[in-house]
Order: sequence, then structure tokens, then C-alpha cells
Amino acid sequence: MVSFLDVMDKALTGKPCSERDYTLKVFSARLKEIVKEHGIKFDPKFPIPSDNGLADEIFRAAFDLFIDVGAYCKDTERIISFDENELREGLRLAPSKVVLGEGQDAKALVPRKPEDKTAPWCFLGAGGGPVSSDEVFLGLLEGYASIPEANSITTPALTSVSGLRIRPRSPLEALGAIRNAVLAREAMRRVGRPGLPIMNTLATAESATSLAIALHPKYGLRNTDGYMIAVMDPLIVDFDRLNKVCAALSFNAPIGACFDPLLGGYSGGPEGTAVANVAYHFLSALVYQSSWHLPFPLHINYVCSSTPEMLWVISASGQAISRNTHLLSLNLNYAAAGPVTEMCLYETAASVTAAVVSGLSFEALGVATNKYEDRMTPMEPRLSAEVAHGVVGMKRAEANELVKKLLRKYMDKIANAPLGKKFQECFDIRRGKPSEEYVRVYNKVKKELRDLGVEFQH
Amino acid sequence: MLSEAKILAELCEAVVSGDVDAAARAAKEVVGKRVDPVKAIENGLSKGARIIGDKFEKLEIFLPDLLVAAEAMKTGLEILLAEIPKDKTLRKGTVVCGTVKGDVHEIGKRIVAALLQANGFEVYDLGADVPSSRFIEEAGRVRADIIGLSALMSSTLGAQKDVIDYLEAVGERKKYVVMVGGGPTTQEWADQIGADGYAKTAPEAVKLAIKLVKSKRRLS
Repeated sequence: MVSFLDVMDKALTGKPCSERDYTLKVFSARLKEIVKEHGIKFDPKFPIPSDNGLADEIFRAAFDLFIDVGAYCKDTERIISFDENELREGLRLAPSKVVLGEGQDAKALVPRKPEDKTAPWCFLGAGGGPVSSDEVFLGLLEGYASIPEANSITTPALTSVSGLRIRPRSPLEALGAIRNAVLAREAMRRVGRPGLPIMNTLATAESATSLAIALHPKYGLRNTDGYMIAVMDPLIVDFDRLNKVCAALSFNAPIGACFDPLLGGYSGGPEGTAVANVAYHFLSALVYQSSWHLPFPLHINYVCSSTPEMLWVISASGQAISRNTHLLSLNLNYAAAGPVTEMCLYETAASVTAAVVSGLSFEALGVATNKYEDRMTPMEPRLSAEVAHGVVGMKRAEANELVKKLLRKYMDKIANAPLGKKFQECFDIRRGKPSEEYVRVYNKVKKELRDLGVEFQH
Repeated sequence: MLSEAKILAELCEAVVSGDVDAAARAAKEVVGKRVDPVKAIENGLSKGARIIGDKFEKLEIFLPDLLVAAEAMKTGLEILLAEIPKDKTLRKGTVVCGTVKGDVHEIGKRIVAALLQANGFEVYDLGADVPSSRFIEEAGRVRADIIGLSALMSSTLGAQKDVIDYLEAVGERKKYVVMVGGGPTTQEWADQIGADGYAKTAPEAVKLAIKLVKSKRRLS
């Protein structure tokens, strides 16, 4: 098994290459050829394909791609390469089960297969979206932790500390990261689920230094939380992110690499993005030594994962991973629309369905492209979780028809999606209750989804 | 002997196909055949840039195609601009851009830089993790019209404000148009920190840059 020291050795001694040449001449050029060689084609009639042969071909294409292009280390300007045996062994020895959380909230994250009847892992919350104050942060967290299906929490990111805007790599970022950890634990304690794991440790800690500072045991992080570490597009890592890997490995914490191949970016169209998305899992397992994996492929123009092409990328690459490995993969979805809009709820229902019937677990979600401060509530992840449990065991062909009906409800608005309302505008934060308007929208969408075949449990 | 129309078509095609060598060959042909370089830029290179911009917006082509098209445009433009008297320059403006300090993400900024370049701007891309003073030094050195600041993370957004505050503090704010962009930026944020422009997409950024430079030049 390739060790982290082997990875560092490869990063220091691999083939020298400029970043420009790696992205354009190595990664993009080879990926384009590989898609052609393997005859992979996106068919818009099947945003959720049922073709096992297609899924397996995408897996083989990703295998070839990763062997040929490896990963790129920005700091050493070298390619981190692996041979076929190292990759096969890395996939074989990657964890097939990881227990997260403590006490009554401890649970095992396990692999799934397409159309699996095993319930998906529900990783719920803000997807690292920006929030303006401690009050909003706490209110959201209490709401997320109160969702019965929640297996773990994804916190927002604080943008300021006591009124001071956070600056990257500054003491303000470190203070924000500490506050992120402390407030999240406090919120979960308040709603009686103190053992729930935080799996995006820590959204506010962009730099390794801030993460390391916030890891002091007094702030409440545990090695049963999930340590999410980003990879840059395409297949690029740097010392700062590898330092985070080093920190998490040093106390035996479960790492989850997160990665977002962009449809329209270096990976090209849906076919290239699906292949790249699978190859990122290989980087995650070998370079970051991840226990779990968090893909979040996005559309370069709409910054969401709910278009037909994106649903296909989630589903086809998800099936490639779940059919051919036991990697613990959770897809994170972004909706273009915001809270209190029917569109946002349709979007997340479509993306979560694509993930769950394809053998993945999921993280929900980035709301309104995840860029607007406070534009998220506990209602969107709640619906995502209810839909996820409601489509468990559904056939891919049936799910395909379901998402096609949902796509018809919002695709004409995707370029100018409604941003909806801020948390403060549609939630009574003190009482933890959504506005009557939002409850009406929620119930209407839920009824429509039930009529379309989602078997809600409550 | 290539006709003028054929040479212009070759210039356009070189940009569309991202062929740097073909762009250089066709531009040299323009010079050799004494074709009006202004016409060659407008009806050859810029025409190709418009086609590329439209195709990228519709995702008929992807980022790698856009980046090589921008390189072909730059190559052709450098040869042709050398033939035009300085006072008749066709540059739409000069831009210094980069990702702000503490942020290492570059894709969005590269797309905007490539489209600006393809549309006739002279672009100095400082890369990622750029300190405030570096933007200002470079903008002074190249007499930039625009300073473009990119940030991808909500935690790095504050560094856009730092550059604007630094410009104010050293008394140089009025010399430049400051545009901001990147994942977490919004019009509200741009207004809050006193930026001159924000665009949601790369094609919108190009249109806005053209408009802002025109109005800056009218005022000065």
C-alpha cells in the first residue's frame, strides 16, 4: 500500500511539469483521447442511465486516465504518478466501513450498490456556505441536527468574527475556525445529539494552520468527525492541503477528499467530467489516504448539479464507483435556486435521487449556488433526506422518469434561478421554526414528489 | 498568392482552432501583403474571438479550447499591433488581474483573462495568492486601466477589500477601475467594498470591462 511518505517522495521526485502543461497537454489532452477510445457517450434521454456496461467503461477509462496522468503537485511542479499495481492495491485496501460519531449517534458508513436497499448516509447541512454571524450559524446547526435522518452535519463557514471580516491565513481565520468547532458542538448539544459527527471539519479553516490551531481537544473536535480536505481542479494538490492530510493522519482521523470537476472546464463535456470524477476518487484514496470521498461535480456556467448533464455525471460516475469498488462515496449537490422556492426543492430532489439510486450516499447541500450569505435553511437538507429515504431501492429506470419530470419543472429557469429568501427572512431563529409560507411550499412540493413515486416514510 | 479575404479568414480560423503557429503565419502574411493591420485585427482575429466567446457560453467548446484560442489571439495581435502607430492602438485596455492573497484557485480568473485577451485587452495575469502591493506595482508599471481581483472562497473574499483599501491608503484608487469576481462575490459585496464593477460570468465581465474602460477614458 502506498504510504503518505511514498506520496511525498513521489511529489518530490516525479516528472517535472509546469502547471500549464499539466492542465492542458497532460490532463485535458489525454482525457479527451480516453473518452473517445472508450466510446463513452452522454444520452440526454437518460439523465439516470441503467446501463451497467457504460458504468464499467467509465471506470476503466478513469483507471487508464489516472495511470497516465497521475496527480499534480503545485508546490514541487511535479507529477505524482502511480502504477497499475499501486492503484489496484490502493482501491483494494481502502476502507469499506468507517464508524463516525459518538455514543448513540455513532454509526457505520458503508458502501452501497445501484438500486441498493441499504439506506444512504445522510450528511446534512450547509455544505460550507457562508454565514454572517454566530447567531445564524447556531440557528442553522440546531435545525440541521434536529433532522431525524441526519447521520452527520456539514457546517456553514463563518465570514466574520465579532464583526471583523475574516482574512485568509490570518489569526481571524484561526479564530473563526475555533468558533466554528465550538459553536457546532454547542448547537448539537442543545438539541440532544452531542455525538453527531461534523464531517466538513472545518469549513472556516481554509488554511492548514487554522485547522491545526482549531484541533486542540478543548474546542471539541474528535477523531470520529470527518476531515474534509479539498483537491483543486484538475487533480491538483499543494503543500497546504497535504499539511492538512498530515495533521489528520497523525491522530488517525478519517479524511474525506472533496473535489469538484467542472463540466465545461478542464474535463470538457459530461463524458470527460464523469471520467474525471471517478479518477478523483483514486487520487483521494492514494494521495490523501481518504477513508471516504466527496465528489461535487458542478456546471461551469450555472454552478449547480441539477441540469440533465450534471445528473448524468452524478449517476454514471456514481455507478462506476459503486459497481467497481467499495469506496465510501457521498455526492454533494448544489441547487441554483434559493430557500422558499419550489425550484430549489425540485433541484435537490433530482440530484439526491440520481446519487442514491446509483449506489452513493450524499451530502445536502449548497443552496442558491452556495455563494450568498445566509441564503440557506434546514428545510432544504430536510427534504433532501426525506427524498433520499423515499427512493431507496428504486430502479434506475423508474428514477430516470422521475427526474425527467422534475427537470421539466425547473430547467427553463436554471440560468436565472430565483434566489429566494435569507434564513432570517423565512425562519423564526429563536423558536427554530420555518415561516408558514415555507411550510406551504415544502408541503406542496412533497405532495407532488409523492404523486411522482417518492415513497416518503413520514 | 493569398487574397486579403483568405488571409483574414485564416486569422479568424487560427483563433477558433487555437492554432498559435497558424495565427503567427497569417499575421506575418498580413504584414507581408501590406494588408491594413487594423482591418486584420477587426475582421480576422476579433471575429474569431467572438465566435469562441459564443461557443464557450453555449458550452460547445470547453476551457482548454478557450485557453489555446486566447494564446493564438495574443500571438497574432502582438505581430499586428507592432505595425500600427502607437497613437492608433486598437487595444481595448490593459488589465492586471490575479487571485487575491491567501487564495490559490485560478480557474475562474483564467477564463476571464482568456476572454479579455481574446477580445483585445492586454492582460497581465499575476497568478494566485497575490499580495495587495503586487497588484498596485504591476498596474503602475504597465499603466493598467483595470485591476481585476478574483476570490473563490468566502474566507478569502476579504482580501479583495484589502486591495481596494490599500489603493485608497496610497492615494491611487482613482487611477484604476477595480473589478471583482469569483465564486462567492456578488453585486452587493462589490458595492459594499467600493469596487467599480462585478460580473457574474466571464462574458459579462468582458462587456463590463469594455464599458468601464470607455467611461474611464471619457473622464480622463
